[in-house]
Amino acid sequence: MSGGDGISGRQSGRLSAAAYFGCVALLTLAGVGLSILAQPALGHDMLQLMGLERVPQADSASFYAKRVTPLLETRCAACHGEKRQKSDLRLDSFAGLLRGGKHGAVIRPGDTKNSELSLRISLPSSDDRAMPPSGKPPLTEDEKTVIRLWIAHGASGVLRDIAGAPKPVAEVKLPELDTARVEKQRAPLAAMVRRLQGRFPGVIAYEARDTADLEINASLRATDFGDADLQALAPLAARIVRADLSGTAVTDASLPVLAAMPKLKNLRLSGTKVGDIRGLEAAPALKSLSVVNTKVSGSALAAFKAKGITVYGGGDGP
Amino acid sequence: MDREPETRVRVWDIPIRLFHWSIVVLLCVSWFSAEQGYMRAHLVSGLTLLALLLFRIAWGLVGSTTARFSNFLHPPRRVVGYLKGLAGGDKIFHAGHNPAGGWMVLALIAVLLAQVATGLFANDGVRFHGPLALLVSEDASTRLTDIHGLIFNFILLLVWCHIVAVGFYLLVKGDNLVWPMITGKKHRARLPAELNIVFTRLYIALLLLAVSAGIAAWIMIQGDSIL
Repeated sequence: MSGGDGISGRQSGRLSAAAYFGCVALLTLAGVGLSILAQPALGHDMLQLMGLERVPQADSASFYAKRVTPLLETRCAACHGEKRQKSDLRLDSFAGLLRGGKHGAVIRPGDTKNSELSLRISLPSSDDRAMPPSGKPPLTEDEKTVIRLWIAHGASGVLRDIAGAPKPVAEVKLPELDTARVEKQRAPLAAMVRRLQGRFPGVIAYEARDTADLEINASLRATDFGDADLQALAPLAARIVRADLSGTAVTDASLPVLAAMPKLKNLRLSGTKVGDIRGLEAAPALKSLSVVNTKVSGSALAAFKAKGITVYGGGDGP
Repeated sequence: MDREPETRVRVWDIPIRLFHWSIVVLLCVSWFSAEQGYMRAHLVSGLTLLALLLFRIAWGLVGSTTARFSNFLHPPRRVVGYLKGLAGGDKIFHAGHNPAGGWMVLALIAVLLAQVATGLFANDGVRFHGPLALLVSEDASTRLTDIHGLIFNFILLLVWCHIVAVGFYLLVKGDNLVWPMITGKKHRARLPAELNIVFTRLYIALLLLAVSAGIAAWIMIQGDSIL
């Protein structure tokens, strides 16, 4: 090749291929080694891997498990959890929380001021470093206090109570609605209910979305609703748990019909023409009775009270 | 001796040299900005990379001789032959990329393009997302983000190979490839006897760069308009 002379002068200063690649291998190993050693939690990871250090576990009855865990899981774990580990930080376990992320520990037990976690949640949401980041709802003051108190008290996994901690917010869980079951319960009378609802608009309704029990409220129909109308509802009698007949035209003649309703719990007869309610106490499920502004005498109520039925009005009462 | 003008011949045009060193700088900026969370800077750096990569592909088709894919992409058999010759101490010189380096260029362009493409659809799960991330589902965006993170390792690997190869030429073969990538000129003694390099005019490069930059800018504007 024509260039032979041009490069021959440097031959003596060159490395052999073996020496060069040996150096490259050493440097590469050193670089990889250093980058591994530079990981903040490496020491703990290695010791735990070799079984020489116990993986930190929190007691299930601890303040951490009861108060801190739910908060971290709902507010932090989406980005610092099983699916994603932003900055190599996991906040979905006690061990992960104590381990910290690629920038080191996020908690200094007992030192709230210098704990990164406490600092980040305390920043205004306009700050780039605020956590949760802007666009996501910040922690409430109570939630921040829970985390700060827990760190201030040593970030313990066993400590049960911390004085001055905000009370936990009660959690209400609504049971799942089993629509098929409800439909099945309602089925035998469903057609009848629909027909009577058409005849007496606004009077008949299911007590709740998860039951086949019914309540009737004829008070808005006032004197347009009388004994014959109540009689017309007889096919539904077995299902009626509440009946508001206040101000309607029903009379004592309807009382046997009401007394025979097996599930009737609350009955309002205020402002009606009923007077002699003897026998009504036989209604097996009756719990309360309103007879305000009626001619029901005080003496007639004793039998009701004796059965534990609460009575409003009647006699000399309001 | 090296600096005597008559012994040195231009092999790399200005666009190739600028492209090369811009990629070096932009890779560093992209890594640093992502690491530190300067995501706006990361976006600009990534889109600039995209523009440069598009330009490089076009320049590989219509650019100067040493820039063209057809000049430096050789069949695998020739690459193997070249590497065997290299191990055996052959002194075969190439004006542009050698047969092994040619494929390295293509691999780097492909991997960088994949990195930029996934970045367009990525999100950092916190406050930032790529300009086209809202065009795909959150799940898809998250998956592409993971791939974006994975590809970075391939980039590191290729950069490592590249630097090791350049070091090999410098320290073992006595052939400094870095200096020509700065000055554009190689020592006549380290070039094939017959040279036939045609340099494409600079205004064509500027035109192609303008079009590439336009495409990148358009993507950025699309991203802003999706918001």
